[in-house]
Amino acid sequence: MNTKEQLQQVFAKAFEIPAETITDQLEYQGIAEWDSMSHLVLVEEIETAYKVSIEMEDVLEMGSVIKVRDMLKKYGIEII
Amino acid sequence: MRLYDLIQQNKKLKFVDPDSGKTANVAEFHESIAIDDFHGLSLIYSNNKIESIEVFLNFLHSQFTISLLSVQLNLQFKENLEEIYEPYYIYDPSRKEIDGYEMDSVSETIGLFRKKAKPVYTIHKDVKLLLSTSGTTGTPKFVKLSDENLVKNAMSIMEFMPIKNDDVVPLNVPIIFVYGLSIFTTNCIKGGTIICTDKDILQKAFWEDFKTYKFSTINGVPYVYEMLHRIGFFRKTYESLRYITQGGGGLSRALIDAIVEYSEKQEIPFYAQYGQTEAAGRMAYLHPDDLSEKAPCIGKPIKGGEFEIDKKTRELIYYGENVFGGYARELEDLKVYDRTNKLYTGDIARKDENGYYYIIGRMKRFMKLFGTRINLDEIELILKNNLGGETFICVGIEDKYLSIMHLDERFTDNDIKKVLRHKLNIHASAVKIRYIENVPLTPNGKINYREIKELAKLSEMKV
Repeated sequence: MNTKEQLQQVFAKAFEIPAETITDQLEYQGIAEWDSMSHLVLVEEIETAYKVSIEMEDVLEMGSVIKVRDMLKKYGIEII
Repeated sequence: MRLYDLIQQNKKLKFVDPDSGKTANVAEFHESIAIDDFHGLSLIYSNNKIESIEVFLNFLHSQFTISLLSVQLNLQFKENLEEIYEPYYIYDPSRKEIDGYEMDSVSETIGLFRKKAKPVYTIHKDVKLLLSTSGTTGTPKFVKLSDENLVKNAMSIMEFMPIKNDDVVPLNVPIIFVYGLSIFTTNCIKGGTIICTDKDILQKAFWEDFKTYKFSTINGVPYVYEMLHRIGFFRKTYESLRYITQGGGGLSRALIDAIVEYSEKQEIPFYAQYGQTEAAGRMAYLHPDDLSEKAPCIGKPIKGGEFEIDKKTRELIYYGENVFGGYARELEDLKVYDRTNKLYTGDIARKDENGYYYIIGRMKRFMKLFGTRINLDEIELILKNNLGGETFICVGIEDKYLSIMHLDERFTDNDIKKVLRHKLNIHASAVKIRYIENVPLTPNGKINYREIKELAKLSEMKV
């Protein structure tokens, strides 16, 4: 089972910030830690954690925590 | 002719804010902001949007010397700079108030901070623009450039860059970097439409704007090309795209291969350029036709420029009218502009039998990380100052990552990474940290960076 908390951990690892600061509303470029460099780190972390390979269109879709969850749904990964 | 006049001559030039759809012809920005009539210093914290561009153009026209910096610069750094340089005007869209300054609302969207007490200092007439070499580290060290430097550089670039008067060019390399600035100046003089954007290529909005406004070109540092490669850009076709350019360091072999393939298949020429802030932009470029055979190679000097390789040190020396007039570390330094045409690039180079130049190393302790120049000595000092005066040794490994060694077991990697993140905006994924018991020294007692580099590479291989 894939939980929100797990996804939070993936984000936290990619951005090197505490998991509790990863809120649903968090957006790309919304905080200093989520910049273009860490975005690619995030893509890699997600690919490793969920064993998926993310396409270009989807990398660009990952504009917020909510959008990342929606994106993962397309890859058959339901976050609950 | 001044840079500003050359820009104003391009009557059809327009600026677009893709977020609001607002469009302004270059004439609309002519004296659109009232600026006091004397030669003082202005600090522009640019966010790369249309307002920053309007402010920049107005100051370019004025007598003022301009310092272009990023709006994202850490507040402490900003305050430090303002204390050292006492700017009369500050443009900073991220701040509501600044101590000692009054806010003039010069237009509906632009507020300009003006110093309450008019500062007394003199600035050399030729010092027009101050650029930081790193952009984000906040050292008060600037490169002093004259209007002539900028014009000469723009003219040389326009000789080879296929800029057309109906081109649509996004400012996706921020103008605070000399490479971004040279894209801005050349396209302002010769291009058609400038898309003033703070979006980067990882944002969907950038690609929506690409389609809406039909971008003619994309520009980027190596790391942008790595991202383009990663997101599959080279597999796609964009009807409006005519050419692409790159600056800010060398590309990896794998990336060159991917670009060569893309460039040939889609008939999109790729312009790799070699430059430095100290040269007001560019010094050399590799002709697109030579890419597959010659890369990684910096090509040949731009028009009006010449190279020489020092016989003893093999350092690359550049000659041209775009060479800067010295550094500024404090206000006092703005009094002088050392006119010269000679620049020691700090790079070690070789030349092949056909006159092409290749960079094979660096003289000084610099590295490029994500396209930004990083001074390794400065990083050591910042770590020392922020972590109890302990010793840190930094080496750059192939412009890929920063290897840091320390002598105090009590430090966690996180302590160090935090400082790098907050003070220098360096991401932890580009940092490797090791604890060592003692520092390898050279026979004359200096830190043996060569040995340390070997050690760092070696420990990397084991992992």
